[in-house]
Amino acid sequence: MTAKKITTNVVAVVVALLFAFPTYWMVATALKPRKDLLTGDYDLVPFSVTGSNFATAWSKPGFLNSLGNSLMVSLGAVLAAVVVGLLAALAMSRMRFRGRKGFVMLMLVAQMAPFEALLIPMFLMMRDLDLLDRLPALALIYFAVTLPFCAWTLRGFVNGIPLELEEAAMVDGCGRWGAFRRVTLPLLGPGLVATSVFAFVTAWNEFLFALSLINDQKKETLPVWLSGFQTNFGTDWGGAMAASALFTLPVLVFFLIVQRKMVTGVTAGAVKG
Amino acid sequence: MTAVHTTDAAVPTNSSAPRRAAPDGAPRRRGGAFDQALPYLLLAPAVVAILWLIGWPVLSVVITSFRKLNLRELTRGEVVWTGLDNYTKILGDPEFWAIAIRTVVFTAIVVAASVVAGLLIALLMRQISPFVRILLQVAMLLAWAMPLLAATTVYQWIFDQQYGILNKTLVKLGFDSFAGFSWFSTGTSTLAVIGLLIVWQAIPFLAFSLYAGAIGIPKDQYEAAGIDGASAWQTFRSVTWPELRPLLLMVTFLSMLWDFKVFAQIWAMKKGGPDGGSTTLPVYQYLEGISKSHFGVAAAVSVVMVALLALLTFQYLRRLVRSQEGAL
Repeated sequence: MTAKKITTNVVAVVVALLFAFPTYWMVATALKPRKDLLTGDYDLVPFSVTGSNFATAWSKPGFLNSLGNSLMVSLGAVLAAVVVGLLAALAMSRMRFRGRKGFVMLMLVAQMAPFEALLIPMFLMMRDLDLLDRLPALALIYFAVTLPFCAWTLRGFVNGIPLELEEAAMVDGCGRWGAFRRVTLPLLGPGLVATSVFAFVTAWNEFLFALSLINDQKKETLPVWLSGFQTNFGTDWGGAMAASALFTLPVLVFFLIVQRKMVTGVTAGAVKG
Repeated sequence: MTAVHTTDAAVPTNSSAPRRAAPDGAPRRRGGAFDQALPYLLLAPAVVAILWLIGWPVLSVVITSFRKLNLRELTRGEVVWTGLDNYTKILGDPEFWAIAIRTVVFTAIVVAASVVAGLLIALLMRQISPFVRILLQVAMLLAWAMPLLAATTVYQWIFDQQYGILNKTLVKLGFDSFAGFSWFSTGTSTLAVIGLLIVWQAIPFLAFSLYAGAIGIPKDQYEAAGIDGASAWQTFRSVTWPELRPLLLMVTFLSMLWDFKVFAQIWAMKKGGPDGGSTTLPVYQYLEGISKSHFGVAAAVSVVMVALLALLTFQYLRRLVRSQEGAL
């Protein structure tokens, strides 16, 4: 009994170490002086530590610029998707009207749209709109990619808030808007945060469209910039790991905040609806 | 909403209504029309965006796949219909079939590995002490949160031929042949590294959702199994498995959707190389479409890609849509 318990715990610790290792290795490498990286020595623990790789990555031409591009495109797209998605979610979840089932079905189907397969028409569309090589093209596409997910997931979160609460507020003299603003919106807060974070990470990670629609180096997003790191700077692994760590940090912070909500949000969206 | 409608409907039958309705009757009637239009107004931006930015591209990719559309036609604005030429071209190309089969096999292996490992870790999480569980969850969170391109870069460094920690470790353990071993010299071993990377990042979501499902299974079912003297395996077969099956099917379906379309990791790792050995359908589509400007051919590749994916997920998709129809 206890022996079995110890075994399972040991197995779990080993699994945890395997999962954490690449992150550890990223940080450990980023902290190592450059001369220590390119030796044959076995260097699982960094004995001398330096911040110079972070300084290098930060000041490399392109890093701050592509960081800014990524932030702008992702935040813009997600803000729009959450607002538009919330409006749609409220209609789908709170109101009864003709064609409701059709709209709900549209959101479900749109959520499964194979975006990677739409590369060519998207490319042609952005060319016709004269948006090739311009960041609004990416913002528009990331908005489209995240919108159905936002609408669908927020619908799940709105469904979870009892309508009676809003009705009670209206009985107490609130208008419909007042009831929504004072009762539903605050309760929806965590759902909105979780949905936004998930949508943000999708946009933050996107690579195919960023690679295909943007040629101008000044308009690269962070993933594209990072994929060119090796060719741009030879094999500066310390710099590459420092840049990767800086790229990971915001997402990691978001994840730590909303991790629990995200699993329920995503699975609720996909299963229960 | 319902409350408002009820009052509206009650107005005509109420004898005192005309007098009361006089001052605020007009705005109230306007409110009624507004109420009716409101859901459509709220839905309009989303529906317009979806039809324009998803619906039209879906239609357009099918149309484009029947056109000859290279850079020449694109710059001249020519519309040249070629019927099924693009399809006969790609379907008659043995290289295309090699890539298609590679994509399906790669997807199957990656999905199977991540779902099985995710399930095992979810079940493991129920057995361990709270402190170790938190440790494991934080470790998985680290893997989950790393952006795809950051993760790909880290794996490239770990598997580096000369200075990668993996080769160094293997040599240290006595496998001297791994000194300077190149993990990216063949398509298969390149795909193996990419597969490992994808599985590593996919497991956390799977494990967390399956764990959430597993702790939702009523305790008395396990107690009953315990009283019946069921072994661990029997308990799994008769209690855990049936309860988790719908959730397992769903996460398997989602994993298939995600893993079939993987592009970033494959492209960033070795651009589909060496010699096209790690090229999958999304990479092929990018090479044909964006690199070579064969838009018509690339559109046909996209259509075949979606058809294959639909074939793989058809059964589940049908069940999902049917169950949703009931629940709407």
